[in-house]
Amino acid sequence: MSVLLIVLGVVVLIAILMYNSLIGKKNQVDNIFAGVDAVLKKRFDLIPNLVASVSQYMEHEKSTLEKVTELRAQAMKPGISEDQKIALDAKLSAALGSITVAMEAYPDLKANENVMHLMRSLNEIEEQISAARRAYNQAVTDLNNAIEMFPTNLIAGWMNLQRRAVFEITATERQNVDVNALFNR
Amino acid sequence: MKSTSELTDFYYKELYPSLNELEETRKRIVSQLKWYGGMGLVVFSIAALWMGKNFGLLHPLMIAVVIGFIVIASITYRFTTGGYTKDFKARVISPLIGAIDPHLLYNPDFMITQYLFERSDLFKHSIDRYSGNDYVKGSIDGVPLEFSDIHAEYQTRDSKGRTQWHTLFRGLFLVAEFNKHFKAKTVILPDQAEKNFGSLIGGWLQSINFSRDDLIRLDDPEFEKHFVVYGSDQIETHYILSHSMMKRILDFQRRVSHPLFISFVHNHIHIGIGTGKDLFEPAVFTSLLDYKQAMEYVNTLQNTIGLIEELKLNEKLWSKE
Repeated sequence: MSVLLIVLGVVVLIAILMYNSLIGKKNQVDNIFAGVDAVLKKRFDLIPNLVASVSQYMEHEKSTLEKVTELRAQAMKPGISEDQKIALDAKLSAALGSITVAMEAYPDLKANENVMHLMRSLNEIEEQISAARRAYNQAVTDLNNAIEMFPTNLIAGWMNLQRRAVFEITATERQNVDVNALFNR
Repeated sequence: MKSTSELTDFYYKELYPSLNELEETRKRIVSQLKWYGGMGLVVFSIAALWMGKNFGLLHPLMIAVVIGFIVIASITYRFTTGGYTKDFKARVISPLIGAIDPHLLYNPDFMITQYLFERSDLFKHSIDRYSGNDYVKGSIDGVPLEFSDIHAEYQTRDSKGRTQWHTLFRGLFLVAEFNKHFKAKTVILPDQAEKNFGSLIGGWLQSINFSRDDLIRLDDPEFEKHFVVYGSDQIETHYILSHSMMKRILDFQRRVSHPLFISFVHNHIHIGIGTGKDLFEPAVFTSLLDYKQAMEYVNTLQNTIGLIEELKLNEKLWSKE
């Protein structure tokens, strides 16, 4: 009898520990996503300024600039899901990347102090966003592992925890963006 | 900054007159030490014989005599080599540092302050004895830095009430301004647990280290194998430890083969290289003109100061100007 009680006690204790670690991992993900959100917002704040200061120079990239503004507006909408935010972020990064590349063709722009300052800020924010994405991906991987691995998967199933999406560090982000393709979309 | 071969040239060409004079002194000291040693040995043997006859060899007084001899020997050693050490630092190390960069200041008796050492948060134990020497301060490529030899120890008492000294850290300690802004704290330590217990149990042991901030897992498996990282902010730690930074730290670790302790606190990088010995001390029993000896001085300096370039701390980031 007492042996049974001890075994039961141990099982309950392990279940509690697993439950708590899952909650901890889930909160970690949410917490870091808040951080990702904060740096993304920093970038959103910068975009109108950047678009305003480069649009007078960049006649040929009007559509890209419009696209950036539009993506920003979409991403700023309240109540969009994390997955949607992640998808919009990827598109926005690509569009901004193409602007940076296109800027090379405008010597006037590169001589403009204000624009250069904005670009430096944008660079720094991009670096922060990249760090936030990596931290988020790590936390999500930890959570996803726990959700799928035995024995935590049993408890996770009962808690109805869902796998989360990771930020894809897309190939387009690393390459020089094909500006033409962007225009024709 | 000058290359290693340029510095080795400098060592042999520019410093040659000084080295020659110092080498003479060194030879004199060695013969002096030999003479003292021989004399000490004779005196000790006579004392030991006499004591052995009268009290027996394992008498407590015998132990006192042995300790007494060791103390006298070390005092004699220090006394004999003291002036030579001072001369060596003034005439060899100091110009060598000047040759690397004229903006670097050198003080053989000063050290990194205990405040900075403790600020790094690399060692959690309280420090009971703190010493160091060979302090260098200045800037390389516009990056302010300082470093010195450090020996930090703590004290314990055993059951019999005897005090024992333990070394917490001995080696080179460097503090430099970091090129990114950050508010949180990130500490990188050599990975003992994972090496000894494997990644599963070791990882678990690391995560329950209560004296540290959160364990942070990074997306570089090789880096994870060598180091354990604690930080107060996941995102900032990833911001500081970019992929390229992790690679640079790993490369450095492969080269130095001593335990590496790195922390990012207060917009500064703190690096401890646990060499376990006092650097920049003159050789007494090997020739100063020995190539290996010369390379050791040049390499230690070069590696330490070169860290700024190696970790690319001189690449000013965007808004930090």
